[in-house]
Amino acid sequence: MDPLLEQLLAGFVDESQEIYERVTRSLMELEKSPAQGPSFDELARGLHTLKGSAATLGLEELADFAHRMEDVILPLRGSAKPLPAAVADAVLKSLDVWMARLRAIAAKGELPELGPSLLLLEKVKPASAGTAKKKNGAGKNGKGRTAPEMPAASAPPPPEVAPAQASTSAAEPAPAPAAPDEAQGDSWRVTTRQVIALLHEVERLREVRLRVEERRRELEKAILQLDRLGIQAETAEARALLLGVRRSLGADGEEAADIVVSMEEGLKAISTMPVRTVLDPLRRAVRDLCKATGKQAKLAVVGAEVSLDRRVIEQLRGPLIHLVRNAVDHGLEMPEVREASGKHPEGALTIRVEQQGNMLFIEVGDDGAGLDLEQIREAALRRALVAPEELANMSTQQLHQLIFRPGFSTRTEATEFSGRGVGLDVVRNQIQALQGHVEVQSVAGQGARFVLTLPADLGSSPVLVVRCGEHQLGVPMAAVESSRAARSKDLRVGRSRVQLDHREQLIPVQDLGAVVGLRQPEVPADGQPLLILQAQGRRLALSVDEVLGDRELVIRPLPADVRELPAYQGAATLARGELVLILRPDFLVSSERRAESGLASTRRALVVDDSLTARALHRTALETGGYLVHTASNGRQALEQLRHSAYDVMVCDIGMDEMDGYELTAAVRQRAETDSMPILLVSARDSDSDRQRGMAVGADGFLTKKECVSGRLLSEVSTVISRRKGAA
Amino acid sequence: MKLRARELDGFTPEVEELLVRRAERVRRKPAETDEENVLWVAEFPVGEETYALPLETLRAAVPLKMVTAVPLSPPHVIGILRFQGQIVTALSLASLLGGRGWREDPAVLLVVDPGFGRLVALDCERIPKPSGLPHALVEEARARSTGAISEITLPGMRQVNLLDLLRLMDRRHAQEKR
Repeated sequence: MDPLLEQLLAGFVDESQEIYERVTRSLMELEKSPAQGPSFDELARGLHTLKGSAATLGLEELADFAHRMEDVILPLRGSAKPLPAAVADAVLKSLDVWMARLRAIAAKGELPELGPSLLLLEKVKPASAGTAKKKNGAGKNGKGRTAPEMPAASAPPPPEVAPAQASTSAAEPAPAPAAPDEAQGDSWRVTTRQVIALLHEVERLREVRLRVEERRRELEKAILQLDRLGIQAETAEARALLLGVRRSLGADGEEAADIVVSMEEGLKAISTMPVRTVLDPLRRAVRDLCKATGKQAKLAVVGAEVSLDRRVIEQLRGPLIHLVRNAVDHGLEMPEVREASGKHPEGALTIRVEQQGNMLFIEVGDDGAGLDLEQIREAALRRALVAPEELANMSTQQLHQLIFRPGFSTRTEATEFSGRGVGLDVVRNQIQALQGHVEVQSVAGQGARFVLTLPADLGSSPVLVVRCGEHQLGVPMAAVESSRAARSKDLRVGRSRVQLDHREQLIPVQDLGAVVGLRQPEVPADGQPLLILQAQGRRLALSVDEVLGDRELVIRPLPADVRELPAYQGAATLARGELVLILRPDFLVSSERRAESGLASTRRALVVDDSLTARALHRTALETGGYLVHTASNGRQALEQLRHSAYDVMVCDIGMDEMDGYELTAAVRQRAETDSMPILLVSARDSDSDRQRGMAVGADGFLTKKECVSGRLLSEVSTVISRRKGAA
Repeated sequence: MKLRARELDGFTPEVEELLVRRAERVRRKPAETDEENVLWVAEFPVGEETYALPLETLRAAVPLKMVTAVPLSPPHVIGILRFQGQIVTALSLASLLGGRGWREDPAVLLVVDPGFGRLVALDCERIPKPSGLPHALVEEARARSTGAISEITLPGMRQVNLLDLLRLMDRRHAQEKR
């Protein structure tokens, strides 16, 4: 074959595969909805592109074959009815053959026959298609079309012609050929190790960018110090120079950040792809299997946007097809059986993909009959996989594990054994080859779930980043059903709970700040963003302070010291280098139960300090004394917290930026709700003047940080509380 | 010409014995240097007290910045941060030590390798300074200690609390489990 054509063919196979997937999707949609609208347009456009591109490459018989499919489809455009099942079947099967033949041509393999497919298309061709055939057919490629009677086996091999020599119809121009770079399939062989090494380099670049930012801030401080010295005239030249360097450092930092983002995106595109590429074709598999078995099923996919390591995706294709086929073939009951047992005749298949830290979970579930333990026992005995006495002592879980034994995987066994699990040893082996494992859960009469757990070092997930107080937190997009603004007329505020009237349903409302222990629960204000979350069959309206936007993030596991926290599935790095914690949807949706069970009255303390470590230390001491501690990093935030919540005591640092402890104390005393709240001021300096000034603005006690050993802080807190009570 | 050992004629037995002992000392392997007799540590203040950790466990001292607080974490956890591509937990040393007072808000994080295969960061009021603790005193203090701290009294009655990071972390895990 002409080397140029060979190169073009490689690109054409990839392009055709994408079109094939789109057309298949459209056909399946049009089986259920009127033959019109965007789906029909997509279908028609796809077939036309296949035809035109094949003709451009001189693959006449494929161009003609695509044209036959058009003949069947196009006359149905605008119909108020869905595509007839026979038509959809014929075109889907023809598409399979079309792709198989194209691959065979590219691989110089044995060409599948076109004849049976052409006959099939001829059978289902609408009567009105004759005109179209005449108009578009005979002269289309200048050579007439292969008659259905002429089997493809006798079709000539693909002509080895240069693209420029290929003819196209003047009346119906072929679509533009693929862009040269795509068509020529320019590529290098790059090893995984090289890509991972590059990812590490990007990580280093990100750290350099953070250091640049740090230098810029240091420079800024130096300039400020110069300003304070009051020798502006003498230092004017030096200051101008420093200001210039600061500006340049800022610009360099920004540019470095942009480079990091773009390199990360580029590397992600090279090394990962969305899991949908392997999940979408499963819809077709489900549809075909249903047709063949007379069953009805609907496949729902959650988390198809998750991007995974390309190598993992390729390895998952087989196991997933196997599990889905198994679910339809052996899991779902016939429609009449389902109806008789009170189920919807259409079975529900669900594939859920979730990445938590560097682990990937794929759940394939059905609402069928579940694993039949009796049949598993019988099959195990028949195949002598376990001794009868051992079998008698097996737990349900152990019996479930038997379906992964090789003996259950032969096709003859599948015919004999009408339960589930046929061939699952292959699935398990493939998943184990990826360093993962498979688990099965089943409830008789309700269905079965296979959970694949795999390591996923590469890959990313869509995450919605939100703000809660000063914290940024991520919520996996897979759990976000929608978002909306709170309106008081839609909120049902009870004594212990708030509910949202959302699309004629009452959904519990939780405040993210309260869920993660940052503040007392707050009723959402008008206009406050609410995320409608769904996980584990439960829904929740989560109020957040601000939605910052969705990001495609690489979620990494938390370090061991905090990995056991049930609230988080991991952390991800944002573009500027800061870490964002990614919340676990199942933790969020179960927060209402925890809130209800944790209503016991506790003494509450608010710690205000701009030092993270000081807050940690105060919290340690106060929690030891039985206090529920909320923290704020500045005066403004503390006032905001005090607006919504009542505290038994406030422990406040004096030396804070923006609003110091004196100003905060004075502001707190001015509010009627907090004018008698005990306040303990804490300072790094031990001076009488500080102490007196604190007392003058309304503080009840004063302690130096040096004195803040656990016992002393607690006793001082008790003292200020008693003093206030005594005064009252 | 054959060299002969100098004869010790004409010396009293005491002098002779002294000279023999000296010769033996000279022939012996050179004595260990002072440097080998000390444990190099990073010394830093926690409130009014001085603490130290073996220099070999110290990986870096970084500014206490870009730390992401972890809501719902145990109180001794300050947050998480990125260090050389890893996510590392920052812990409050004063809190781990049971709630010590402090003189100034910590501004430094010491990234340390406690010896169980992962790094952690501990807060610190100031950048630590390297110093040497006599091995003999260290061993003596370690033998006395049953916990994560070995109290070493240096000449001049200066006291340094040498931290055993593995024990400190173990104790924390034990506390968490309780």
